[in-house]
Amino acid sequence: MAKEPQAKKWYRLDNAGILYSALQTEQYSAIYRFTAVMARPVEPQALRRAIQRTMPRFPGFSVCIRRGLFWYYLEPNRRSGPFLKEDVRCPCRPVRFQEDNGWLVRFYYYENRLSLEVFHALSDGAGTMVFFKTLLAVYLQELGVEMPWGDGILNVEEPPRPEELEDAYLRYAGERALPLRFPPRAYPNTGTPEPFYTLHVVVGTMAVEQVKARARAYGATVTEYLTAVLLQVIAQRQDRENPLHKRPVSLVVPVNLRSFFPSETLRNFIITVSPGIDPSLGEYTFPEIVAQVRSYLKLWADPHKLRALITRNVGFTTNRFLQRVPVVLKNPILALNYRLGGTRPYSGTISNPGQVRLPPQMAPHIDHVEVILGQATVPRSHCCVVSCNGTMAVSFAGTLKETDTPRDFFRFLVKEGIRVKVTANDPGY
Amino acid sequence: MSYCVHCGVELDDAARRCPLCHTPVLDPNRLQNGETPPSFPQRREEVLPVSKKEAGLLLTAMLLSAAVCCVVLNLFLGRGRAWSLYFAGAAGMLWIWFALPLFLRRMVPALRLTADLAAVGVYVYLISLDLGGAAWFWGLVLPLLGAAEAAVLVLSLLLGRPHSLLTRFVMVLCAVAFFTMAAEWSIDRYVRGTWSPAWSLVVCAICVSLCIPLVIVRWVPSLREEARRRFHI
Ligand SMILES: [Zn+2]
Repeated sequence: MAKEPQAKKWYRLDNAGILYSALQTEQYSAIYRFTAVMARPVEPQALRRAIQRTMPRFPGFSVCIRRGLFWYYLEPNRRSGPFLKEDVRCPCRPVRFQEDNGWLVRFYYYENRLSLEVFHALSDGAGTMVFFKTLLAVYLQELGVEMPWGDGILNVEEPPRPEELEDAYLRYAGERALPLRFPPRAYPNTGTPEPFYTLHVVVGTMAVEQVKARARAYGATVTEYLTAVLLQVIAQRQDRENPLHKRPVSLVVPVNLRSFFPSETLRNFIITVSPGIDPSLGEYTFPEIVAQVRSYLKLWADPHKLRALITRNVGFTTNRFLQRVPVVLKNPILALNYRLGGTRPYSGTISNPGQVRLPPQMAPHIDHVEVILGQATVPRSHCCVVSCNGTMAVSFAGTLKETDTPRDFFRFLVKEGIRVKVTANDPGY
Repeated sequence: MSYCVHCGVELDDAARRCPLCHTPVLDPNRLQNGETPPSFPQRREEVLPVSKKEAGLLLTAMLLSAAVCCVVLNLFLGRGRAWSLYFAGAAGMLWIWFALPLFLRRMVPALRLTADLAAVGVYVYLISLDLGGAAWFWGLVLPLLGAAEAAVLVLSLLLGRPHSLLTRFVMVLCAVAFFTMAAEWSIDRYVRGTWSPAWSLVVCAICVSLCIPLVIVRWVPSLREEARRRFHI
């Protein structure tokens, strides 16, 4: 414990982290959950040992968040924990910085399910994926399975490397920034909110190959295809409501910047783009939506544009005026900005942390992986797609009672000829 | 393995209804199968409400610093009068109104009301001291505050219990009538020394005339049923 040569005493949040911590309220959760559904029931004792062995290797996750006068910051958490807990029905409970000994990661187990919850200010899906895979590998080692390092699994016996804690946004921010603008209000796709601390989760699992085949039939990738399906079902819901003026339907899609700008950071390095359609221009057929999504995402696969977008997002952390505003006043400013620029112009979120590639020794012990996003600022479903071991899991999580969006989404896939199995955390079992 | 007849999706073995469209699963074989554990945990986590202490401390610090600044400024500016006490008193009143409930979360509403009105009373008393008019404080302000406290307290106690909408309405009207009577009584006593009720009687008459039909409707079952039918939500 004593030797931490390059571990800094404290460090700044990156610009995504600043936003997530500013937004953090009891009505919004920037917590997401990775769940591995194992082949056998989870053994808590072995998992506890695995957590203890893994945490020191990931200093970026072993932190607590503190409030300075002008900004929040992170510092190593010296208190006991994080503790393994029995799983609960409503995942992704909003984080409270003072509680749980200040830990911003949580570990849960239930039957075959092994879950990790992470506060988004610490890391994005790609960074957490490395942490999660390493944890799973160490857990399997504790169970006596021979498990090599490498393949996206970090050796927990090695010390952490400084480049894993890099703020890659700052490194790649350029000179020119995209101008800030607030897109028009989109169809909100909300519903009746449930009382406090209720999160409805619906997970559909299907074979990756079947989805890939259907996507290929439209000349699209899996992400483009599923984004188009979601756009279509939301647009159809708006049509059913038969409004006087049809609003645009548009989605938030996070893009992993590591595939454009090389970085080994385990912290946030994503940016969001927003494919969408405007039904007021006329009805879109499904192939048209696919084409629209495809060309939009292609347009944004441009490092120059992405760099200008990064520069814009980093801009508010280097803005002379904002820098000098105390954090208690800054948070409402950022929250308002998020409301106008991050919630109102969108109808939903579809996140794709990608494919979990497992080494051959690991694959037989893990059935599949699910990722669940925490509650949005409005009662709206967040969709998340992840595939592992040939199984794709699409999750919808939200505080709303209505199930229109996941229902129509999975019904569409079934009509496309894909076999879908649906599970949910609702009572009624 | 069962499927939803509407959605065509495969369902969990433990599912009794489809999570997408809530159609019940009817499987005659299930009875022999025994229970499979649900695929998601069903344990509900007990979540305590957030502690507001930090916000309370922040508010305390802000009010305290404002009050101290005013007092210090008073030592240099306008030394003839203790004008800063107005600001300090206002800060104290605001503290009792807004900061105290943050510290004492389980404050009884009656206690909170008393504390709030007492804060107003003390503040007005300080003002009356500065303006050299203790008489109007004791003669006018205190009885008015007392009447307000009594009316709101009794009303909140009565409304706290389950009553029909009509009964509640009658109670509110009675409280309004009581408060106007008390107000005129204290004003008359202070201004003229005698109590000669005039305008408060008008208000009372209106309240009583509104109450009588409500009471009748409340106590005659057939009328009550009619009202319930006509005004249901
Ligand atoms: Zn169904």
